[in-house]
Amino acid sequence: MARYAMVIDLDRCTGCRACMEACKVENNTPTATFWMYVFRFEEGEYPNTHIWFMPRPCMHCDNAPCVKVCPVGARYKREDGLVATDWDRCIGCRYCEVACPYGVNFFNWKEPSKNYYLDWRDKDLSPITNGAVPPYRNPDLEKPYGKERRRTAGGGRLKGVIEKCTFCVHRVEKGLQPACVANCPLFALHFGDLDDPNSTVSQLLRRKPSFRLLEELGTRPRVYYVGGHPPDTEARQIEEVKARV
Amino acid sequence: MATRVERLPYGIGRFTLGLYLLLVVLLMVVGWGIYAYSRQFTEGLVVTGLRDIGTMGGAAWGLYIAFDIYFVGVSFAGITTAALIRLLHLKHLKPVSRMAEVLTVVSLILAAFSVLPDLGQPVRGIINLFRYARPQSPFFGTFTLVVSGYLFASLVYLYLDGRRDAAILAKEKGPLQGFYRLWAAGYRDTPAERERHDRASFWLAIAILPLLVTAHSTLGFVFGIQSGRPGWFSALQAPGFVVMAGVSGIGLLAVIAAILRQALNEREQLHEGIFKWLGMFLVVLILIYLYFMVVELLTTTYAGHHHEVRVTLALLTGGYAWLFWGVVASLLLALVSLLLPYLPEPLRVRFPAFQPGYALATGLTAFVVGVFFILQRMGPPRGALLMLSPEVLRWIPWLLAVFLVLFVLSFFPLFTTSFVASAAVSGLLVNLAAIGKRLLIVVPSQTYGTLLPYGVGTYTPTWVEYSIIGGLFALGTLLYLLFVKFFPIMEVRTAEEGGH
Repeated sequence: MARYAMVIDLDRCTGCRACMEACKVENNTPTATFWMYVFRFEEGEYPNTHIWFMPRPCMHCDNAPCVKVCPVGARYKREDGLVATDWDRCIGCRYCEVACPYGVNFFNWKEPSKNYYLDWRDKDLSPITNGAVPPYRNPDLEKPYGKERRRTAGGGRLKGVIEKCTFCVHRVEKGLQPACVANCPLFALHFGDLDDPNSTVSQLLRRKPSFRLLEELGTRPRVYYVGGHPPDTEARQIEEVKARV
Repeated sequence: MATRVERLPYGIGRFTLGLYLLLVVLLMVVGWGIYAYSRQFTEGLVVTGLRDIGTMGGAAWGLYIAFDIYFVGVSFAGITTAALIRLLHLKHLKPVSRMAEVLTVVSLILAAFSVLPDLGQPVRGIINLFRYARPQSPFFGTFTLVVSGYLFASLVYLYLDGRRDAAILAKEKGPLQGFYRLWAAGYRDTPAERERHDRASFWLAIAILPLLVTAHSTLGFVFGIQSGRPGWFSALQAPGFVVMAGVSGIGLLAVIAAILRQALNEREQLHEGIFKWLGMFLVVLILIYLYFMVVELLTTTYAGHHHEVRVTLALLTGGYAWLFWGVVASLLLALVSLLLPYLPEPLRVRFPAFQPGYALATGLTAFVVGVFFILQRMGPPRGALLMLSPEVLRWIPWLLAVFLVLFVLSFFPLFTTSFVASAAVSGLLVNLAAIGKRLLIVVPSQTYGTLLPYGVGTYTPTWVEYSIIGGLFALGTLLYLLFVKFFPIMEVRTAEEGGH
């Protein structure tokens, strides 16, 4: 069984946020939902300032606080290390969200079909959409995945359930890279099997010093950062996203 | 027939016009709450002020969870007093025992109801919480120990405790006779039966006491073992929940007992000694809680992680300061008002006698300052009203607070003589403090407590949340009122029954 992990090279990231875009398109996440988010930081005092960027997917922790607190087992850890959300079972109590130290969970505050950037049911828009199928009807996202055969892929599922980054489980099971990794123009994001010594992630982690976010909490994240440092009190976020629904 | 109904004690079955009006008003408030919930059910939780933590800058848990833990807290009262009375033979407290038990049952029902609107998928919640129950989740304890075990034990206790009275009342003919016979279920109040009952309720009381501590602790653990939320992650959370539960529960019990004392005109049975005991219990619990608060503040501000400090500063001087200091002021005022009747005689004389003038003056000033503040906040005034600079404006709420405190203080001379008044007023104050403290536990750790450098979040409840909570309070009052009208809220004295 593979042991999946993501390695993010902060030296390479230019903060273009192509990964955020790719994630939204691939997983059809509703408005104001950012499974992948790129922090843009500024440090120091003018004129000696330094700007750096930090992508933040779900950490897919080995000791995940969200998995521990879920009262119905809708949030669970797969054998290959992915932390999955079974939206067929979620009751929408948002305990995982308040337990998560990384703030990666997103709730469906309203009917997802009413929460996309484009209302596909709008009659005035029908000449433009011209009967096209909304992109959130991706058949791959409807299938059950994993040995447990539970429906865990994609976003914008149902009013009142929680969702988060799936590491693009529907792509990973096909042997593809997650959308954010595949679309990074600078190869700052890497995804692979830690058990395979020849995988990019294993090689990168051998070659460069790495850190994980909030490691002191004992969550044992599966997302490693190389070529930078964790955000400390000096880091000020510039043009922070405050997207509310 | 009417005369027979008249003979039932404590106004059972007597529905006056005023009572009907009250019931109608309560039903209307409940109906409004149901309407608000229907909006939420169809639209989703977007109609509330809750939003995602992180990039959305919100709080995922808000009023519903805060009031859920408040209601569970209030349930402390009932069963504790009832069990303590039974175990320690506090005979003189017997009259409040059933009041307390009913309070427990009603507040637990409200607690269960206030979880439901918090769920995004309430129907799934009712099924899946049992079908896929996971003991590893701190919620498991809330549903098994608190809502099921605690509620069941309380109902059994209430039933056993009421059987004797039901048996006595079942001897009278009346529209409720069948109900009492059902409750008594063959109980005849013979010495042997009484002895058996006594033994059963003794063992039940012994079983309930540890459940009391564990149940309220479980609720504390829902927050206390989340290392990812500064302000929640604390070993004091569980014991703090137990003590705060006691403060709010005993406080509300004192309020209810004082109201029933007036309404039923039972000054002898609900004597001052009861309120004295409840007040003293409350004093001890408030002191313990204040101690916990000081310990927690000192730990976080002296040596806390910078995330902890950020949350604490938001409480002490930031956006939540008005609520935090309001809670502290309420607890201290309650403490003072509870201790006033114990002042030695010479000191008591020096207190100015109650003068309506003081209360009127401070109350009016507080009102004017409050209205002025709201007008200022609403933006540039259209008339000749002066506009204050933001620096000055910052101090207006504090001025308002000072006058409000003076307003409450001006009533204090009344309490130097009456244990009932002081217990009731401080009961009300501590409940306001408890609600405030619950909100302070739930919300700031989400809006200010993100460990990654997201921006500060905001949470403002909407009318839907207020309406649902208001509806729950109305429902609770309604249930309590109906119980009082259908069953003796205190033990029936056989002398009243005319020779039975």
